Amino acid sequence: MQTHSEPNNPSIIETRNLGKSVPSSEGELHILSSVDLIIKPGESIAVVGESGSGKTTLLSLLAGLDTPTSGSVFIKGRDITVMNEDGRAALRNELIGFVFQSFQLLPGLTALENVMLPLELSGDGNAEAAARALLERVGLARRLTHTPKQLSGGEQQRVALARAFVTRPAILFADEPTGNLDSKTGAHVIDLLFELNREQHTTLVLVTHDASLAARCGRMIGLAAGRML
Amino acid sequence: MKRFGLALRLLLRDGRSGELTLLVLALLIAVASATTISLFADRLQRTLTVQAAEFLAGDLVLAGSMPIDDAWRRRATGLGLIPSQTVEFSSVLLENEQMLLAAIKAVSQGYPLRGFLKTLETEAGAESQIAHGPQPGTAWVEKRILSALNLHVGDMLTVGEKPLQVTRILTYEPDKRGDFYSFSPRVVMHQADLPATGVIQPGSHVHYFYQFIGEETALVAFKKWLKPQLNPSQRILDIHEDRPELGSALQRAERYLGLSSIVVILIAGAAIAMAAGRYTERHFNTSALLRCLGCKQREIFRLYTVQFLVLGMLTSAIGCLLGWLGQLGLFYVLKPLLPQQLANPSLLAVVFGFVTGMAILLGFALPPLLRLQKVSPLRVLRRDLEPLPAKAWLIYGLAIAIMSVLVWRYSNDWQMTAGIVGIGLSSLLVLGLLVTGMLKLLRPWLPKLGLTWRFGLQGLLRNSRASVSQILAFSITLAAMSLSFTVRSDLIDQWRQQLPERAPNYFALNIIPAQQPAFAQDLLRAGIDSSAFYPVVRGRLVEINTEAVQKRVSKDSQGEAAIHRELSLTWAPAIPADNSITSGEAWSADQAGWVSVEQKLADNLGIKVGDDLRFTVGGAQVSARVANIRSLQWDTMKPNFYMIFSPGTLNDFPLTYLTSFYVPDAEKNLLNQLLKTYPATTILDVDQILKQFKTILMQLTQAIDLLLYFALAAGFTVLFAAVYATLDDRIRQGALLRTLGARRDWLRKTHLVEFGVLGASAGILAAAISQAILYVLYSRVMHIPYEPSWLAAATLPGIGMLSVGLAGYWGVRAVVDQSPLRVLRRL
Ligand SMILES: Nc1ncnc2c1ncn2[C@@H]1O[C@H](COP(=O)(O)OP(=O)(O)O)[C@@H](O)[C@H]1O
Ligand SMILES: [Mg+2]
Repeated sequence: MQTHSEPNNPSIIETRNLGKSVPSSEGELHILSSVDLIIKPGESIAVVGESGSGKTTLLSLLAGLDTPTSGSVFIKGRDITVMNEDGRAALRNELIGFVFQSFQLLPGLTALENVMLPLELSGDGNAEAAARALLERVGLARRLTHTPKQLSGGEQQRVALARAFVTRPAILFADEPTGNLDSKTGAHVIDLLFELNREQHTTLVLVTHDASLAARCGRMIGLAAGRML
Repeated sequence: MKRFGLALRLLLRDGRSGELTLLVLALLIAVASATTISLFADRLQRTLTVQAAEFLAGDLVLAGSMPIDDAWRRRATGLGLIPSQTVEFSSVLLENEQMLLAAIKAVSQGYPLRGFLKTLETEAGAESQIAHGPQPGTAWVEKRILSALNLHVGDMLTVGEKPLQVTRILTYEPDKRGDFYSFSPRVVMHQADLPATGVIQPGSHVHYFYQFIGEETALVAFKKWLKPQLNPSQRILDIHEDRPELGSALQRAERYLGLSSIVVILIAGAAIAMAAGRYTERHFNTSALLRCLGCKQREIFRLYTVQFLVLGMLTSAIGCLLGWLGQLGLFYVLKPLLPQQLANPSLLAVVFGFVTGMAILLGFALPPLLRLQKVSPLRVLRRDLEPLPAKAWLIYGLAIAIMSVLVWRYSNDWQMTAGIVGIGLSSLLVLGLLVTGMLKLLRPWLPKLGLTWRFGLQGLLRNSRASVSQILAFSITLAAMSLSFTVRSDLIDQWRQQLPERAPNYFALNIIPAQQPAFAQDLLRAGIDSSAFYPVVRGRLVEINTEAVQKRVSKDSQGEAAIHRELSLTWAPAIPADNSITSGEAWSADQAGWVSVEQKLADNLGIKVGDDLRFTVGGAQVSARVANIRSLQWDTMKPNFYMIFSPGTLNDFPLTYLTSFYVPDAEKNLLNQLLKTYPATTILDVDQILKQFKTILMQLTQAIDLLLYFALAAGFTVLFAAVYATLDDRIRQGALLRTLGARRDWLRKTHLVEFGVLGASAGILAAAISQAILYVLYSRVMHIPYEPSWLAAATLPGIGMLSVGLAGYWGVRAVVDQSPLRVLRRL
């Protein structure tokens, strides 16, 4: 495994000439081209851009959900583009949390079980206590045994937040976390997200097209037609 | 239809996007297999019926001791039936100072209407088939006649007063009956020569047989018309009644073929329901959108119903075509086994396949489809809003109604239909509740389990409704398979038992007591196995408790046949080992005056333990009290007796001995030796009958095997279809779990657990279901003794676990290979 570290300037996420293209009927379609990016621990980054500009693609590459067609991604100095899928899964479990636009809770599990899940996957014996604590933290102490169907959108997203933070991830990726919520509920969820982020010193990569939300982050990266502005 | 165009466009789009592939595949399998089996079974059955008809040399035979009314023959020809006639009697032949009792058969033009004779033109000639009898003035005789009377082909043979020229040696006649007239060697002559023989006088013992062939409907009509007019000496024989052994084998085979068809339809129905369920769920969004855009519920219903009707018709048509080809393939493969003359495939069977397709599509797909009109337009905003599941009574009611009709159409038997549907229905209800309860009980245990097990089981519990129906569907499939298999092996076992490899193929009768030890010695020396030697006294049952026996019998019954002729009465210290006493007690060896009566005859004549029976033997009379009623298997080719007396009862009467034995083909010349050494003894050849019978059984077995493989293949395809029905959910969940860091082999393990438990539960249920159905089938429908097949019951859970587990594992392997990116993209 190739390692890459610069002691003076420790980065948690770093990309080199990152690109993604897909074959199409009119030849190669470049969804993302030569993205060079350095994100330091504890930073919060907003990725902004129009719909279709490549934000989700960038996020998926950074999180190792997808493999690039060119360039590399380093997480804590490790090149994840040379890892196999199970290696990346282990890395995700250890370092990365997600919040999605569409919540993505498992429908058959209760709120508590959903939050416990990532801890259990990493073999944490203390999953339940940690999950209870975090659900309490997001204000859902009384909804532990409810299934996603019995929760509102805002509540579901708060469960998702708890699930994302319960492993104390080094990095949190959030793809338009308020996209499916009304503005008031959305604001509440975002407040929670930033609070938890501060408490845990998480590195945050937040995809949004909401300018006011982006402004709350420490840094903003603009994307247009797959290129960094 | 206003929206027909839209419906077609949506259908086309769904078709192109692969949305319908699964459903179409399931339906295609259903229709193709239903059509194949329907066509195959129909053709085979008609072919076998024709073949069986050869045993009678006709489709229907009227037997009696008098010539029939001319009006009867006119009625038959009026109905479009073709008649022929044979007259059988025995006559003593005298040639070259040798004397021989021969069985004469005078045949009319047209004989044999079914089947053929086999003859040799010279003593050393080759055997050839021939489809008519001898010309007037000639006779065909068995070799035994020539050797016994020192004659050769071309010599004259005088029957009664009529000299006939022997032109051929007879080696086979299709309608050789296993009764008295077959004992003596055969002479076949033309009916036109009959009056000239002068043999037939009023009062002489003659049997008249009138054969008819024609359309099934005409035969049925004729039989119905004839029955009430018969006098006590006349009997109707048809393929189901005359040869009970063949009739029951055919009947069981027919039922088996029907059962196989039902099995495939049931399995396919389950698959279609699952595929339709998936289709429905995938169309909630479209439906919600259409509602938003102003579609009324009714219109949505119509929109989708039209799509399904079109889809059903197209698919069924293609399925019918495939079925036609499949059936051709089956017959091609089976060609060496089947008779050369095959019945034509009937269009009706194809139409039936088509109708079946439409019926199962609607019966199983409609209820889930109905949910589409109930989708709330609000779903456009809230994706997780799902319509209530279809009402249970609707889902099951419609499916049950259609299944019942189909089952009935296949089995043509309300009893069987009621049995299958009734048991199926109540077990579905009970089992559904049971499985639901079991899953509920499982929940509290979950937190105590390891993550893999917990997650696998949670997969089951998450959507317990779906799991229950899946377990039920798998268990029905497994039960159906096991049922087919068990019934098949039981049928074949029974046939084997009935006709073991060395089943007796000769009977020796009229063995004089003084010669019996020598006869037995000769058999022993030749290495021939024989049954016991039974002493036989010929007698007639005349009174039951001083009441004349004629008053007890109903026409056409077995009892009637039994009292119209002399019975072979025997005695033994104990009843034979393969008979079993159903009521009463065995006698102790030294008690004279007791009799044991065969059960069917006893039932027929109303004979009970303790009744006094009176027989006439020769001119004398003998009485005995019924000690017990005994059941036995008639079609084993071993000597069987209606009446067995306790020793000492029949001491004063002239007796002969009877035995049966097996002679291999290579040692046939032993028979000639026996005939020469014991001229008074009659040797009855049942070898031909036995061989014909065995051939038919072998064909049936082969056909049954093929049908079983067919059902098995359908079952497995359906298994995958069912696994696919949940694939969308799994892919979504698998991708999410992997974003959370789950490894692929862990995901695989949870799948194995989930499907393994699903399969094992289905297997346990299947064992219960199949045993219950088996019990009903055997005891009520097929009338063969039921014994719980523990082996099947014990292996089913394992088979279920393995097959469903592996199929599920394989079917959802795509889940672990999907990119977790799906979660972000919301695919
Ligand atoms: N697998 C793919 N094949 C073809 N085009 C794709 C694929 N994935 C994404 N795209 C295209 O790439 C562009 C960027 O997509 P995405 O990253 O989802 O944008 P954003 O999240 O900024 O809306 C879009 O035009 C999208 O249609
Ligand atoms: Mg996006």
